[in-house]
Amino acid sequence: MILRSIELESFGRFRGQTVEFRRGLNLVIGPNEAGKSTIAEAVPAVLFGTDCLERFKPWGRNVCSASLFFEGRGHTVEVKRNLLTDEVELVEKDDLYHVRSQFSGKAPFRGRSASCREYRELLEKLIGVADEKLFRATYFFGHHPQSWSGDELALKLRTLVSGTAEADYAEILDTLLDEHFQLTRSNPWGRDKQRDREYETVCQQLSEQGDEGAVPIFVEIDNPARDDSQVALEEEISALTGELEFERQEYEKGQRYIERFRQQADINEEKAEPPAKVEPVKEESLDTKKSLAKKLTTAGLPPSLPPQLPEVLSAAAEIRQELAALQQPFSILHGREKKIPQIPWMVIGCLLVLFVALAAVAFWQPFFKTPLLTAVGVCSVALLAWASWRQINRNKILEQCRKERGLLEQKKGVAQQRQAELSERCDALGLPSSAVDLVRLQKLVMTHRTLLDQYWSATESDDPGIVKGAELVDRQPTSPDSTVSVVEKDLLKDDGAAEELRQLEARLADFAANLQAKETRLEELQAQLKSGRHTPGAAVEATSQQGPLVQEISVKSAMSPLQRRKNDLEDRIVVLRKSINLLADAVDEFSRSHLVTLNAEAGKMFGKITEGRYTEIKLDENMAPSIQVDGRRWTPVDHFSRGTVDAIYLALRMALAKVRDDGRSLPLMLDDPFVHLDQKRLAKTLNLVDLASADGQLILFSHNLDLGKRAARERWHVVPLDGDAVNTTTDEGGEHAGQLHLL
Amino acid sequence: MTRLLGSAHIEVLAREESVRGVLVRTVIKQSEFADEQELELLENSLQLLLKRFQAMDGEAS
Repeated sequence: MILRSIELESFGRFRGQTVEFRRGLNLVIGPNEAGKSTIAEAVPAVLFGTDCLERFKPWGRNVCSASLFFEGRGHTVEVKRNLLTDEVELVEKDDLYHVRSQFSGKAPFRGRSASCREYRELLEKLIGVADEKLFRATYFFGHHPQSWSGDELALKLRTLVSGTAEADYAEILDTLLDEHFQLTRSNPWGRDKQRDREYETVCQQLSEQGDEGAVPIFVEIDNPARDDSQVALEEEISALTGELEFERQEYEKGQRYIERFRQQADINEEKAEPPAKVEPVKEESLDTKKSLAKKLTTAGLPPSLPPQLPEVLSAAAEIRQELAALQQPFSILHGREKKIPQIPWMVIGCLLVLFVALAAVAFWQPFFKTPLLTAVGVCSVALLAWASWRQINRNKILEQCRKERGLLEQKKGVAQQRQAELSERCDALGLPSSAVDLVRLQKLVMTHRTLLDQYWSATESDDPGIVKGAELVDRQPTSPDSTVSVVEKDLLKDDGAAEELRQLEARLADFAANLQAKETRLEELQAQLKSGRHTPGAAVEATSQQGPLVQEISVKSAMSPLQRRKNDLEDRIVVLRKSINLLADAVDEFSRSHLVTLNAEAGKMFGKITEGRYTEIKLDENMAPSIQVDGRRWTPVDHFSRGTVDAIYLALRMALAKVRDDGRSLPLMLDDPFVHLDQKRLAKTLNLVDLASADGQLILFSHNLDLGKRAARERWHVVPLDGDAVNTTTDEGGEHAGQLHLL
Repeated sequence: MTRLLGSAHIEVLAREESVRGVLVRTVIKQSEFADEQELELLENSLQLLLKRFQAMDGEAS
């Protein structure tokens, strides 16, 4: 949106005069006391009213009014204000002059009435700003204040990006944190957590009165009492989860075993062999197997080791050796790569430059011109040839190393693939898959190989179906209450298959019931952890994103004043925490989405002002600007001169105006901001200002007549003030009196 | 009951390219999935923050 004109009906020293502006750069130029500041101040005075009416009220007259005409995309806005009565007329029209919205009523400077709010809302909607201070902070750029420090600049920038002229977001965040800090010691953001605050005091007083609601709902996560119970709960859940996992596997194995046992019993029945012949053999075989299993257990070996164990262990040892053997070529290759010499291209470049310089000298001096030039040429060619030859050799060696590395990687990959397959096989056989366990197992197997062979031969002679079932069950480590162990014992002890089966099923049912009870307990514990309800009579809930847990109590219907105070404090703390989180998130989001663009824009503009000397500006999370010097180190703005700081601030302001532009932005008004810049930077800054105004509108107020000359040259729109009259001069307007190049 | 969220004033603020604008947009986004209790908390927090940002009168208690 651009400011098309200001109609000064009766305002300051102006009466019935109109100042017109155009898109792009406008220069209002005139000597001191010509009325530049009056024109500039007319904009906020008309939009928001003023509390220094005497400054603008014409002497001896009882009228003080002015109008502003804004022009946006497809609509115009006219605001007229009588500053004496604060009567405002605002009319928004579309391109066809149809009224889209309007306001007519009183809207004083500090008014809080309904009509004033209505006007402000309309203003906010149309021009994007409804606050005088914010307008000044955003769109006004003067030669005040006189000195900037880095902190002041950061503060100013934070205020600008906050969307308010009163306080910056960091200050708001600090006040919220302080307020929270004063209320309770339970503080997710660190700081003193030892000293009781108002909330804890109230809770303590309630506790002394024996009130049930005295339990504080805000308990810090690092509170030892709460922490212990919390940790205990988590530990119990963790232990129970592990236990349940194991027992579920055991239960499934038991089920499979019983199923196989049942099938085997059926087969035996179908075969209908005479039991008198089978039973003694089976009994004898079972006794042998039992005694061998006992010996194996004593030797430290589980009795359920599969017969494929030696083969697996041998394959594992082979893979280990293979991987270990690959380490050496890798390390040799690495050493070779490190030893390949670098080509000193920098030195060669310098030498070549030197040769060129020598050639130039030889060319201009009268003696031995040809031999000297020839020598320099030969040396250069020889040097280049030598370097190229070295580079080619280096590339060849590197390529060779790369190939060798590729081959080694391939071999390593194959070995790792085999290792992965072996691990899967170990898992399937119920063997440990880690290398350490396998080595340990291998040692034990080598020591007790004879015993193992005897056990395997005994197992092979036994009924394969039952053995297979027992093996499947025995793969997992046995626990004292393991059903599997019980099942196996029962199998060995009992003779009658039916009786066995019944007992096994009964055991399994008991086991299932136990499992069910544990699962229920786990669910309870998890629910407790989720809701935090592990303290009788109190509830815990997670309220903030920082994760502090708070306990919640039911609100009593009849509350004492102390209880009411406690509830009020709790509500306030919750709101404060939420507000802090929301604001912190918003700041983070703003930093992510806008700071990069702002830095880039400001850097670009600053680079133009400083002729490329400084091209990078960085705003940190606190909006403190730093400048990159020599393309390497970042230096805070404090370390720079006043002119540089002014220039950086101007660049940031203009970048900010560009970043914030949402189509409703007002023109940027610059009131002699270049007084501290030297001639060179002034010229560059004017270039930048000219460039920045191309996308919108910029009104520059100045008393510098040199600017007028430049304006005439650059065909800016000029509004000269000669102390008596206002004239509008355009680049085409040669007919206007007071044209600057004639001044 | 008149809701702060959804008012024209909030819609205008949400269009701002400032920290305040981002804040209002964040609250509006969170309010889309909030239950009644959470909505009340969001409104109170927003009211408190906007007061601090000088964007409205009054403050959540």
